[in-house]
Amino acid sequence: MHELDDEIGCVLSMPPYAQPPDQRHDHLLKILKHELKYACQQHVGYKNYVQHWPVNYQSARQIADLPYLPVGILKANPPLSFVAADEIKRTLTSSATTSQVPSRVALDLPTMRRMTKGTATILRDFIGPARRPYLVVDTPVRMGDGNSLGARGAAIQGLQPFAKETTYCLGLDDHGDLTLDRDRLNKFAADRQDTELLVYGFTFILWNHLVKPLKDGGICLNLPKARIVHSGGWKRLQDEAVEKTEFNQELAGVFGCSPDRIIDFYGMVESVGVIYPDCPEGNKHAPAFGDVVVRNPLSLEPVVPGESGIVQVCSILPTSFPGHLILTEDVAEVIADDGCPCGRRGISFRFRGRIPKAELRGCGNLQIKRSLVN
Amino acid sequence: MSALTQIVNSPAEISSAAVKLREAVLDEEVSPNEVISVLDAWAKSLDVRELDDVPGIVFLRMWLRRGTLEPIVVRELGANSLNGGWTEYGRAECKAFPVGVVGHWPASNIEIQPLLSMTCALLGGNAALVRIPSGVLEPTQRLIGKLVQSDPGQLLTRRIFMAAFDHCRQDLQEVMAQAVDGGMIWGGKEAVMRIRALPFPHWARVIVFGPRLSVAAMDADAWGDRAEQESWCRRLARDVWQFDQQACSSPQVLFLERENGQSTAQFLSVLRRAFETENQAHPRRAVSAALTSAICQARASWLLNDTANQATFPKTPDWTLLIGSGSDLPEPVQGKTLMVLEVNDLLDPVSKFDGNVQTLGLGIANPEKERELALLAGKRGVDRIVKLGRMHVFVPPWDGADLIRPMVRMVRHVSSTS
Repeated sequence: MHELDDEIGCVLSMPPYAQPPDQRHDHLLKILKHELKYACQQHVGYKNYVQHWPVNYQSARQIADLPYLPVGILKANPPLSFVAADEIKRTLTSSATTSQVPSRVALDLPTMRRMTKGTATILRDFIGPARRPYLVVDTPVRMGDGNSLGARGAAIQGLQPFAKETTYCLGLDDHGDLTLDRDRLNKFAADRQDTELLVYGFTFILWNHLVKPLKDGGICLNLPKARIVHSGGWKRLQDEAVEKTEFNQELAGVFGCSPDRIIDFYGMVESVGVIYPDCPEGNKHAPAFGDVVVRNPLSLEPVVPGESGIVQVCSILPTSFPGHLILTEDVAEVIADDGCPCGRRGISFRFRGRIPKAELRGCGNLQIKRSLVN
Repeated sequence: MSALTQIVNSPAEISSAAVKLREAVLDEEVSPNEVISVLDAWAKSLDVRELDDVPGIVFLRMWLRRGTLEPIVVRELGANSLNGGWTEYGRAECKAFPVGVVGHWPASNIEIQPLLSMTCALLGGNAALVRIPSGVLEPTQRLIGKLVQSDPGQLLTRRIFMAAFDHCRQDLQEVMAQAVDGGMIWGGKEAVMRIRALPFPHWARVIVFGPRLSVAAMDADAWGDRAEQESWCRRLARDVWQFDQQACSSPQVLFLERENGQSTAQFLSVLRRAFETENQAHPRRAVSAALTSAICQARASWLLNDTANQATFPKTPDWTLLIGSGSDLPEPVQGKTLMVLEVNDLLDPVSKFDGNVQTLGLGIANPEKERELALLAGKRGVDRIVKLGRMHVFVPPWDGADLIRPMVRMVRHVSSTS
């Protein structure tokens, strides 16, 4: 395990987007194989799965051939874990917007440390290393039962390494609904026209609880140096027919900054520590310690640039739960295998939505028990 | 697009089509024999390579043959019914008359189902108003085009109107239901419930072929017979492949009777080869990302949840064998995912059936055991008990019901002259 920890640490300290793709792939493949071996030692069910995989992972020549798990497997409760119960320091839960059943991932200390470092390494590449006043468009993070933390809380904490001071500008009203604390917001914004700032919120929360009320009141915060980071997906905004361009324009409008200061990142608790911010070209990239494979639903083989498929995320960061190779329920288009004009190396891709929930079809779609008269 | 198949946008189009169909039924009586002559000619015209890619085409050709249909008509409508005559029943005589216009709501996943459903009504002398789900429009048009060529006298084609419209068009669904004298409804629970709730006339006869699932079972003498293993596995693979395992008659699980000291491993390797061969012969041309995701999920949870479980599957989502033990009926996955469960006694799983099982496909060497199983299966709600390889063969009774008789009126005549 120490050897594995060292290997992961070594990759984590590299510049996240500088390695040539082949070199990065070989490096990751080697570590992922070590992690698979370790995971098989820790969990008999996982070992059973890996043993039945159609390709022997030890002789696999590409990451795409390694045994991946569908993300739904992480909805198990108690969560699938590779460590003893007393080593689990935190359990992260997903927002479960679509499925209603949240994923649960068990984090031990080494995994937590790597994840914090992973998120910070990626963000540093996009927003720079400086600490700055941090406005969180949410309520203060609270731990749930058993030291659990939701997806929003995890994302808020992930940006703490860039915070000099943190202000939460949402509160809860008498009904327990989120409400904008205008006094706190105004106080934060006062006299900061020339200050580099960091703002974070879940996409739909930013829209509903900040953009809408400020826009309705014709208010501009006049913070041209705000760097706004958001995540959490577009499903709820798509339900309201709000597209990304409109979102960016309106959000930039209430802050009084340029739309290019807004960064949308994709992250999931199941692969926490690896996030995928949009580059200036509008693409997403995999860091040195992770990878993305986009699979054709018909063959499950990786697609070529220009094609779309099911997203598999890969990460060497987790060793306390099976989060190394996760087949998500998201669809993305591969833009290029390498050579994004933004300068980041390796695959570039864009999300195209979510896979609709699988349902049994036709006259064989049976889920209800009948009562049978004997 | 053939005149028989039209994309419909307004309720008036359906009403007007229904009026013409009713006129066609009233204008001219057709005997089952005349209908069968056209259908038999249609069957021959379908035997062309260009249609080989339509899923279920082999069954459709078989179903439309005179040799298949004549015995069905005689059994359901009576000995003299073929030529439209009266059949004596003691001092009375009976004759089948059409109910009129029969509406058909086929499932969206079985390409040939609109045509199978339609022929049931036509054999009873009815006209057929068929809603075509968008997913099967293209193959339906190709197949119905051959019927137009095979029916120059328009004996049947003037009794058919196929309306393609989105299932969400409640206005069109309602006007279609109001216009018919009978309805044949096929499909999943949601679709069936929605269509049953439409405003059919109070006299309309409605028959529902709702959601079911099917099961395969083999006794140890059958699966252990090395000379026959390949044949059994080929039959089973064929049953799984048809309709991408989405039909009510598709096997979702195979129960294998345990035999002391005999491993199923060798049989399962033959089954695996049969799946590989079937996949090469009939590769999937398209799949939804949701189904692929569900298949991956099934593979993973099967192996993670119980270390005694085994599985075999390729890198692709093409097919999956999930191997374990237990007599409970597992949740179906579809997408050519067959669960193979060992049991001590085949009576155990059958005794747990709850009425959801439509077809029990059997590979049994011992006839007495098979009778015992069939009896118990019937008691436990199974409507069809057939040999493996014949699970989809569309012969009535289907779901325990006749296919032609529900859409005819059996008119009883007791003579006043004698």
